[in-house]
Amino acid sequence: MGKLTEVFFRIGNTTFGGGYITMVMLGRDLVGKRGWMKQDDYDLAFSLARITPGTNIIAFCAAVGSLLRGWRGAFLAVMAVTLPSALMAVLLQQGFESWRSHPYALSAIGVTSAAVTGMMWSTVWMLARPYIGGSSLRDKWVRTTRAVLLLGGSCGAAWLGVTPVPIILVAMVVGFLWLDEDRPTGDKQ
Amino acid sequence: MNLLVLYLLMLKASITSFTGLGSLPMIRQDFVVDRHLITDRQLTTAVVAGRTSPGPYGIYLVCVAYLVAGVPGAIAGMLAVITPAFLVIPLMRWIGARAETPRIRSSIRALMLASAGLLLYASIPLSHETITGALTLIAAIACFLALVFTRIETMWLIFAAAVLGLLAQAVRALP
Repeated sequence: MGKLTEVFFRIGNTTFGGGYITMVMLGRDLVGKRGWMKQDDYDLAFSLARITPGTNIIAFCAAVGSLLRGWRGAFLAVMAVTLPSALMAVLLQQGFESWRSHPYALSAIGVTSAAVTGMMWSTVWMLARPYIGGSSLRDKWVRTTRAVLLLGGSCGAAWLGVTPVPIILVAMVVGFLWLDEDRPTGDKQ
Repeated sequence: MNLLVLYLLMLKASITSFTGLGSLPMIRQDFVVDRHLITDRQLTTAVVAGRTSPGPYGIYLVCVAYLVAGVPGAIAGMLAVITPAFLVIPLMRWIGARAETPRIRSSIRALMLASAGLLLYASIPLSHETITGALTLIAAIACFLALVFTRIETMWLIFAAAVLGLLAQAVRALP
């Protein structure tokens, strides 16, 4: 339980750029590094967090905490991520105006923001990577086409002004009808 | 302001949104337009603080609640932010039992790809805003490559980027 809290505390409060990046970094640690979860369990927690009302990353922490250690795990994971970052946000809010006029702070914030952009690109790649390629040549072709269509279609729909919930619901229907039965690429489970 | 009312207003905004900043229009309506408890400028500062700090963007609600009612308000705000998250647990129990079904699993995978597409779209304006020259472009690409090809933790990348920014300013400030 202590280790679980430590992982959520460390990753949740040192990852900048919003919920998606934090969820992917937690997945990289919990699935890839520690092997505490299977890729499919991670995907389930991620997906349900996306359709749970409220802030996705907090629902994701509750889902993963509950998968690993029940209600207590869920509560600890949520508190480990929200409490310190809430405190930090309130402190930042108070100091923000004076920082904004300081050239050194401005420069540091500028390069840090660019690094966060790079993190967002890597998050896109890490989210899509398990579903690109396959175990046979035919699977490789079909899965990659499916991935490109779903990813590109969602991006295009958002560009046309469609809100995220209908996009996600349509993608789930497409997934339900167009089966992907191969194992996630790189899944060692 | 009564803390219970504050909690319920925050909860209403939180539970009817599906992204961190999805609650913003409702918060603005309730706290800026209808009740005049905060100004637009304060709301913007709260959003920027929420985006600049680590963790979820939705944490800006705590900043708003702090502006309205101080530390007790911030606690009420935080409770309102985390309450809806626990809805995922019964959902997990119900869908989790069916998650091994190939069609449900395939649906979930499609959702992951759609999420990647949505994030790609969200990254476009952010890229325009943050990549303002060679240094920021190098920082973004280096960060992307480091995360894709190594197991380095993001806090070290953020730290390195901040140091790079400070060094760049020091060089610019040289006479």
